[in-house]
Amino acid sequence: MGLAIEAFGLTKRFGSFTAVDHVDLSVKEGEIFGLLGPNGAGKSTLVRMLTTLMRPTEGTAKVGGYDIVNQADEVRKIIGLVAEKLILYPRLNAVENLMFFGRLYGMGGEELRRKVDELIEMVRLERFKHFPIGGYSSGMRQRLNVVRALLHDPKILFLDEPTAMLDPQSIRFIRDLIKDLRKGGRTIILTTHIMDEAEELSDRVAIIDHGRILVVDTPEGLKARFGVSNLLEVFLELTGRDLRDRAENRVPIRAIGRV
Amino acid sequence: MIRTGARRAIYVTMVMAHKDLLDFWKAKMLVVSFTLFPIVMMIIFGYMFPSITSTNPYAGKFPSQYGRLPIGIVDEDGSRISEGIADQFAQLSSTTGLFSVRSFASLEVAKDKMTEGKLKGVLVIPQGFSGALSSNRQATLILIADDTNPQLASSIIGQVSSLIRIISEGVAASRISDIAAGADPEALLEPISLEREPFVKGSATTFQFLAPGFMALTVTMGTLSGLAASISREREQGTLDGIMSSPVPRYAVIASKLLAQTARGMLQSFIILAISMLFFGVRVYGNPLLMVLTMFLAVLSFSGIGIIITSIAGEQETAMTSLMLITMPMTFLSNVVFPIEQLPWFLQAIGKSLPLYYSADALRKIIVLNAQMHHIAPDLIVLVLYSLATLSAAIPIFVRSVSR
Ligand SMILES: Nc1ncnc2c1ncn2[C@@H]1O[C@H](COP(=O)(O)OP(=O)(O)OP(=O)(O)O)[C@@H](O)[C@H]1O
Ligand SMILES: [Mg+2]
Repeated sequence: MGLAIEAFGLTKRFGSFTAVDHVDLSVKEGEIFGLLGPNGAGKSTLVRMLTTLMRPTEGTAKVGGYDIVNQADEVRKIIGLVAEKLILYPRLNAVENLMFFGRLYGMGGEELRRKVDELIEMVRLERFKHFPIGGYSSGMRQRLNVVRALLHDPKILFLDEPTAMLDPQSIRFIRDLIKDLRKGGRTIILTTHIMDEAEELSDRVAIIDHGRILVVDTPEGLKARFGVSNLLEVFLELTGRDLRDRAENRVPIRAIGRV
Repeated sequence: MIRTGARRAIYVTMVMAHKDLLDFWKAKMLVVSFTLFPIVMMIIFGYMFPSITSTNPYAGKFPSQYGRLPIGIVDEDGSRISEGIADQFAQLSSTTGLFSVRSFASLEVAKDKMTEGKLKGVLVIPQGFSGALSSNRQATLILIADDTNPQLASSIIGQVSSLIRIISEGVAASRISDIAAGADPEALLEPISLEREPFVKGSATTFQFLAPGFMALTVTMGTLSGLAASISREREQGTLDGIMSSPVPRYAVIASKLLAQTARGMLQSFIILAISMLFFGVRVYGNPLLMVLTMFLAVLSFSGIGIIITSIAGEQETAMTSLMLITMPMTFLSNVVFPIEQLPWFLQAIGKSLPLYYSADALRKIIVLNAQMHHIAPDLIVLVLYSLATLSAAIPIFVRSVSR
């Protein structure tokens, strides 16, 4: 099996602050790869670089064999993105939203129409498909937001905290959906700080903190390595128990970033 | 390959512009306010700058910025002759649209009304007026203007004098024909006369000046702020990530925003034109296609600046506020509302360095003077150069700002 993603020394700095710090990474084709890390660890920044939304300050990466800077358009054709914020227009209805994004991928006509209906059915929104999505509940919106990334059948799917702020039913639904989505050899990169989610879904996880990857392994491998019964213990062991956003914590973070 | 690339770029530009317009259309209250805005603006400006209708024989001769001012007339002479003069004055005041005249029994009553602010001036026909007139001496009228507002008073004095001159010439003419039958009284009274030939077809109203300027102003301001709002909103709400992570050329994203916002701006501009034509006697003598082209260039010439500001600002409120820093002076300096000749030289220089000056100028020439392409070519060239310079700087800045 080939590699879906390879990163070499991928780095992103905002001014003097290093958000992603020389990340080397390989994700295999067809696997669900969990990116775990506390708030501000650099997960989203890493995803934004891999999805061509942000240029790396240093280093490079290949997604689906294409360089994320020099072959950005090729990368864009084969990736799907569920970002932290909804990628949907609140005033438009479900059909209009999906039709719009489908056309951006060069789809059209009957093919697009059928695809849109199929996706809407997949997340059980048929009855609401002509209502502006601004009136949807968060769960409905997020379901639509996830399938929005599937219009063009992307080979590689990035999910940035897809279950954040959802109720248990919606979380269950989205997780089952993610399991379904891997069928057909799709690669999925999933960021989360919910440990059950990572454990349930991921083939391998990377724990990232202060912009650096601390470990990469299967959930079972990690638990065995640290001699604990769940991933949360591994996570706290590695990233510490202190709050992230306390002012006194920021100073050493920056200092580490500069080394 | 290149051709299909270009065609695809055009297609996705259209798709994105269509989405923006659909998104706009769905916000009903926005659409209503957006449409009402130019209507309200034009009606207010229309009545601030009243124009004389072209059916009036004195059209353009007595430009008044005040409309019909209330003037009192007091006939102390009380003769048939003085009555005739008072009638003539009232008649002329109404045909020229300068004054609304009311007669008063005594000067005291009229002065009271002036103190109350209900009259702006009183014309007195003193006792002995008809006596002087019939014995061929010079007869005198007295004008008391409300000089608590000196500017208004001096304008009233000027306008009353011109009306009295007309009446006086009439009297003179009848005398001349009494003395020298067969002579042309006009030639004796005014051996040399100056006649004005209009340059502008029809009647030159303030509105022929204002309407094209407002159209250019609205289309640029509307597009500029629309562009800033739309780009920053998509960035803030996160939908821009969806577009940017899909294989669409970056410049197509800008082009689509421009296209959608220009369409909106033009809608407002044509509402302005329609109101000006329907209610304020503006006529279009030029080519509508040339108008559209000019408005498009007007937008393009400013959009680069708008995109640069939006990109640097990064967020909606900052972008809008920074833009106002440019659009506010632009409104007053670019020969749109006030003639640029009124401004001191350095403000004129600033005004003439803003593209709006050229688009308003070209649009005015097209609408009022039926200017052809070669008449407005210098204006259009400035606009094209402006567009090229600012957009070629703006696109890389925009691309960098969204991939920071
Ligand atoms: N555009 C930016 N400018 C400046 N700093 C930024 C920017 N984007 C992210 N950062 C900083 O980079 C660090 C990493 O942010 P990032 O969003 O990648 O974290 P995360 O792991 O996704 O966190 P969370 O779990 O809260 O989503 C944070 O400290 C953040 O403040
Ligand atoms: Mg994040």
